[in-house]
Amino acid sequence: MIARMAWRNLWRRKRRTLITVASISLGLACVVFFLSLAEGVYAQLVDDAVRMLAGHVTVEHESYRDAPAVDLVVADASSLRRRIEGVEAVAATKLLIAGQGIARSGRGAVGVSIVGVEPQVEAKTSPLARKMIAGRYLESGDESLAVIGSALAERLGLTPGNKLVIASNDRDGNLVERLFRVSGIFKTGAEEIDGYLVEVRLADSRGLFGLGADDVTQLGVLVRPGYDPARLREQLAAAIGDAEIGRLNLAVRPWQEVIPELAAFIRLDRVSDHTFQALLVVLVLSTILNTLVMAVLERERELGVMLALGTSRGRLATLVLVEAAILAAIGCTAGLALGGAVSGLVQVYGWDLSSLYPNGMTLSGLALSTTIHARVSAHKLFVIGALVFAATVILALFPAFRAARVSALEGAR
Amino acid sequence: MISQSSCRGAGGSGRVMLRLASVTKEYRDGEVVVRALRGVDLEIGAGEFVAMAGPSGSGKSTLLHIAGALDRPTAGSVEVDGHDLATLSERELARLRRDRIGFVFQSYNLIPVLTAAENAEYILMLQGVAAAARRQRVRELLAEVGLTGLEDRYPRELSGGQQQRVAIARSLASGPALVLADEPTANVDTATADSLLDLMERMHHQRGVTFLFSTHDPRVMRRSHRLLGLVDGRIEGDGAPADLLDGRL
Repeated sequence: MIARMAWRNLWRRKRRTLITVASISLGLACVVFFLSLAEGVYAQLVDDAVRMLAGHVTVEHESYRDAPAVDLVVADASSLRRRIEGVEAVAATKLLIAGQGIARSGRGAVGVSIVGVEPQVEAKTSPLARKMIAGRYLESGDESLAVIGSALAERLGLTPGNKLVIASNDRDGNLVERLFRVSGIFKTGAEEIDGYLVEVRLADSRGLFGLGADDVTQLGVLVRPGYDPARLREQLAAAIGDAEIGRLNLAVRPWQEVIPELAAFIRLDRVSDHTFQALLVVLVLSTILNTLVMAVLERERELGVMLALGTSRGRLATLVLVEAAILAAIGCTAGLALGGAVSGLVQVYGWDLSSLYPNGMTLSGLALSTTIHARVSAHKLFVIGALVFAATVILALFPAFRAARVSALEGAR
Repeated sequence: MISQSSCRGAGGSGRVMLRLASVTKEYRDGEVVVRALRGVDLEIGAGEFVAMAGPSGSGKSTLLHIAGALDRPTAGSVEVDGHDLATLSERELARLRRDRIGFVFQSYNLIPVLTAAENAEYILMLQGVAAAARRQRVRELLAEVGLTGLEDRYPRELSGGQQQRVAIARSLASGPALVLADEPTANVDTATADSLLDLMERMHHQRGVTFLFSTHDPRVMRRSHRLLGLVDGRIEGDGAPADLLDGRL
């Protein structure tokens, strides 16, 4: 009977209850949507970054992070790759040689990052290969060809087919210069990439930096969809084995250590997102509190009658808590359904923001697609719903306490 | 009127249902102390049908509230059905109200979200009576108070008289020993008041329940078996209604 009374009490003021339910559900839907959108953007950022750079997990020389230099190599890369590709969660591996140098043309010189890649692997995995605006991406048989960013091409006045000299120091410190021809020009929208990145074939970069035939600076590993990248690191370390890791002075690093600025950006952005969402939840909760307090205040006499009839104070408090729980359950269910449905649509179809960002979007120095996809997680939906539900019931303790303190005399008058 | 503050119960069973001894009740209104009851001594025997009359502010409602364990006296002691209220915790007082005392209020005070049947059932639910048993009992009770066919109506769908009948059914549902009725006929027309009094008198006879009314209504006073006159927080008269109303006491 208490549940029946609670249910009927809620609908005594239909408009107020509907407004409260609407505010809970809309507030929660907003929280779910923005959270899913942010998670989608983070996932997209990370995915683009790890595919363009050194994978979800990177195997590299243990000292490479402290002072990146081309002499800190991963030797026996082919043998390591075979072992790593035996791990079930691994989708692909990529070999990289990353170094610094100067790109020079007839118009000038610019300091650049030179990355040696396997064209056939990058074509399948890296978003860069799909961002060519002139010429074409590298192919396996290409020799002394390079792809460069649009801003760099503009500075150096280069178009596909033009010559470009790259100067660098090899692993022994000797100055090396090599002539390349521009194969293609890419545009990601991120100045840090478009203005300073040059990609060449792995073999050409070995020649440039004076590395051995099986040396790389990084062995990147991409995780298969549905597998947890966080667990991949341990699985890889186990597959390589401690002895081999020690012998080759290797380190197996998650992307958060390889691209710390991206990890820091996501952490910071999450804090700001969660703060905003927490404020939204506080606003929603204040609406609920207001409704419940009003519902108790205007029923003090009625509650007094119930007390006079022999109802215990605990049962009065329970009545208010059940009302709050019903209100929260309806609001949370509607909010999660609405937020989940809208987020699901944006996850499947994406949200095209190209009209708002005609020149593309960048975040933390990384280019982001102007069509963003949300990422809905059933676990997160459950946690958010449970949190709001629990917070509502906890908040209802105040009006419940108030209800339990009414005077029986109030009801008898 | 005889000036007296000590009144003895005249219940046929000899058992005392309600006993007030030197009961005083004071309220503070800022700096002013209002003395609502001034040393009231009263005994009402089990099975009595007693009305309590007096001008507004004479202390009738206060006495009912104290007798009904809704309020505590400033001084003195109160016993209901053998229970000294001063010794009971709040939880025990609530249980006593639930199990042994029925209330009928001037404004009916039905729970608006419950139907007539559910209002009558409410106390039985508090007592933990099984749903089927309480529905059966309430159906019979509502039939007794003349509300057959109106069981599923909400209070707002009932007339004042019908609401008061539901309130009477509610007060009797738990099988109380004492029913306290605060101006039960104040908000209904004459014919309805008469039928409510008939009903309560019938219940009193059939069930042997002790009734104590507070009233301004001469019909209630006349139909009571014992009339108390309250003036300024004291019982100034106690006797047969005819005697008291004729000014012989």
